[in-house]
Amino acid sequence: MTKVLKINKGVEEGVKEVLKFLLENERVKGVFTLRKTGRNGAVTYALVKDPSEIDNCVPLYPLMPINAAKSLSTLTLRESLSESIALFVRPCELRAFVELVKLQQGSLENMLILSSTCGGVYPLKMAVTNNTDRNLEKYWTTLRAMEIPSDIRPTCKGCEHFLPYNSDMTLISIGKDIDKSCHVVLNTKKAEESLRGIEEEISDGELVAEDMESLRKRRISEREKLFSDLKTEDFGLDGLIDLHGKCIGCHGCSSVCPICYCRLCFFDSEVNDPGFSSYEGEMRKRGGIRVPPKTIFYHLGRLSHVGISCVGCGSCSDVCPVDIPLSTIFLKIGNAIQGTYGYLPGKDLDEKIPLQTFEEEELAKFEQ
Amino acid sequence: MEEKFVPKIVGFVCSWCSSAGADVAGSAQLNVPSSFIPISVMCSSRVDPALILAAFLRGADGVLVAGCRPRDCHYENGNYYARRRFALVKNIIKSLGLEPERLRLSWIHGSEGQRFADVVTQFAEHVKGLGPNPARKRIDL
Amino acid sequence: MTKGAVIPKKGTTEKAILDFIKDAWEKNCFDSLLIPVEIPSGDSYTYLLIQDPSLIENASPLPPITSVQGARAISSITRKGKVTKRIAAIMRPCEIKAGVELHKLEQADLENVVLISVDCPGALPLSDYVPDSKTGKEKFLKVLKEWGGESVRPVCKTCLHFGAELGDLHIATLGDENSIYLIPNSDKGKEMLRSLGISAEENLSAWDTRISEIKKKKEENKKKSEQQLESEVLGLEKLLETFNKCIGCHNCMRACPICYCASCYFDSDNTEHDGTDYLDRAENKGALKFPCDTLFFHLGRMSHMSLSCLGCGSCEDACPMSIPVAQLFSFVGQKNQELFGYLPGMDKEEKVPLVVYKEKEFEEFEDSH
Repeated sequence: MTKVLKINKGVEEGVKEVLKFLLENERVKGVFTLRKTGRNGAVTYALVKDPSEIDNCVPLYPLMPINAAKSLSTLTLRESLSESIALFVRPCELRAFVELVKLQQGSLENMLILSSTCGGVYPLKMAVTNNTDRNLEKYWTTLRAMEIPSDIRPTCKGCEHFLPYNSDMTLISIGKDIDKSCHVVLNTKKAEESLRGIEEEISDGELVAEDMESLRKRRISEREKLFSDLKTEDFGLDGLIDLHGKCIGCHGCSSVCPICYCRLCFFDSEVNDPGFSSYEGEMRKRGGIRVPPKTIFYHLGRLSHVGISCVGCGSCSDVCPVDIPLSTIFLKIGNAIQGTYGYLPGKDLDEKIPLQTFEEEELAKFEQ
Repeated sequence: MEEKFVPKIVGFVCSWCSSAGADVAGSAQLNVPSSFIPISVMCSSRVDPALILAAFLRGADGVLVAGCRPRDCHYENGNYYARRRFALVKNIIKSLGLEPERLRLSWIHGSEGQRFADVVTQFAEHVKGLGPNPARKRIDL
Repeated sequence: MTKGAVIPKKGTTEKAILDFIKDAWEKNCFDSLLIPVEIPSGDSYTYLLIQDPSLIENASPLPPITSVQGARAISSITRKGKVTKRIAAIMRPCEIKAGVELHKLEQADLENVVLISVDCPGALPLSDYVPDSKTGKEKFLKVLKEWGGESVRPVCKTCLHFGAELGDLHIATLGDENSIYLIPNSDKGKEMLRSLGISAEENLSAWDTRISEIKKKKEENKKKSEQQLESEVLGLEKLLETFNKCIGCHNCMRACPICYCASCYFDSDNTEHDGTDYLDRAENKGALKFPCDTLFFHLGRMSHMSLSCLGCGSCEDACPMSIPVAQLFSFVGQKNQELFGYLPGMDKEEKVPLVVYKEKEFEEFEDSH
């Protein structure tokens, strides 16, 4: 039976109290969470060591400036953490990091993982116009009503995996009393140990998934709508070109994607670099060729490389300078690829990524 | 009690002339501030402007590039290129309203032990007057 | 007094330019053409390298936006392998200049390329045009009529090389309602006109006058913009505020034509550290922002490319957080170019300042008692 910590404060204040407690009592040596920076209120992740800095933190701020998995990989790529830190990240960021760990791009060692029942984040454009703060009240009212905020990222609206896997603690951040009381489910003994001595109520209890079930069903129906609105099955070459034609080849999507970890991407490498004779050949065949070439090749190629691990965080769509709905495409096709193996990226650390393993007998329908 | 400010100087010191100068300074037991952190490079031209920026933005109170005097470069002309790169990065810092005074380029001959000690001491004094580099404490850099 | 050829228009300016191109093509002045073409969905443009002249139908020598910086296109075609066909490339002056810089940096081979520039009033921001290209096209017509105005990108408002004499051939559209002017700037350009039997000896005083009028206005804009930068962006505090929304996507670097490294220094192993390094830095400061080293990336990129910065604005177009990178980079770029007495993109035989030196120079930067 798990335990539940109850603090008589709103969720944001409650989770800050937990993080401060962990740091002040040296249960961890650092805290990784969202922090407000500067006078114009930009929000970024930060590794916090000084407990007083927690006052500037905003763990539940509905923005994802970077998928935290990338930063966690940066921290642990060469070696696992030498001292323990607590992190507060979203379920999809945690799943992406688990995928990266499977790909040997990071380590979970010495991490105390806190996450929440995620209500979704706003697109980065909202931060550009400094509008996120203005929407905060509406955002929290909507979460109290267990509804879906209307302007969050499309992939957030359709996300059914908003209950974190693999967290030591799960903050209940959706529900009618979140402005008054903060419930943190302690999933592991490690979590219980870390809070030893906290002057707050800890009792037996668990996260009741049924409470979230109606919201989950609504999210699934949003996802179905999102996927059916973008009729990828009807695209064909013309549809693909229509959608990706405005791509400027900045490869920002690859740059922000947590799963895209290659230091030198195949599509940026010498192997993929055309050279004039290649241009000449293509011009002769087709009469003309787009420059730089191979735009669709890049997108479909990237999809074939990372689709199996796509968690649908939505960072790619946000970074695209010409608003190609990449995250919808990647999530939709990614889901289809994952479905072939009944695989959910980032759920189970011990489950290999399907392309890293095989069965002797399988996928007979693809053989001829 | 007020903490006495001891400036941290990062020095990119070329292996041929300037390091030799440093050796002479050391063997003659000349006074060199212990807050000087030398980084040995084969030639001052190895110093990519990005390295100077890295030291500066990490919070070094002063960044020194020390190389052979023009005409004395072990590789013939590395120091000429180094001078241009240094001018470029100092100009960037100046144009952005940051503190160009924290960057210095000095030519030191291998036998000039006293000069080496003097350069570092004078630079440290100069930087002390500027106070600690505000970049060191900035969380959002 | 600039001299060139006066070609009467039969229809729109764009038609006149395309007619000249078609004529030159038919008369074998070049084998293939690199030109912006509207994409099938109608909301943007792309460069096409065309061998088949019929594909010129949806081409636009001066589109409302710059989606891919033209120099990136030139580099992609000519960087690798021997260029065995003659290519005519028609694009904005800043794209031509970037192409010349890339040639100096051995990232493009201009030997078999004829560079054709066009008088440019500026381009609309990418994020203004793409979501609603219908309105975008109307805005651009206004931009052409007013020759600039409020809707062009900030760097375009202060650009002084919009009608410059660079590249091989310049097509002037200002100065005369009824004609376009062809101004050859190199032997290649002169040879092209000669082979077409076009004399380039007319005095283009109307153009000269118009250009200096507009230049004066742009110079005023430039002064204002520098004052604004100085009060809003310069100094450590304000610089950090400007960049605190930066998410480290590096779109700016990839969109930049001058940033050609396939694997950027700032994405490489050199900027990857042990976990203890981050933990120590966080300890020293109380906290450490992630991703870290944001200012290091931007200042470092400046130190690597600013001598060749043309102020083309592609970086700012690509930034998802609307940070004024182009304005800042072109400001610092100009300060550095002044220091070195260097004007990028003009002469492809001229070396970039960091690969040459003088025995005595920059004495104000060295300490050498």
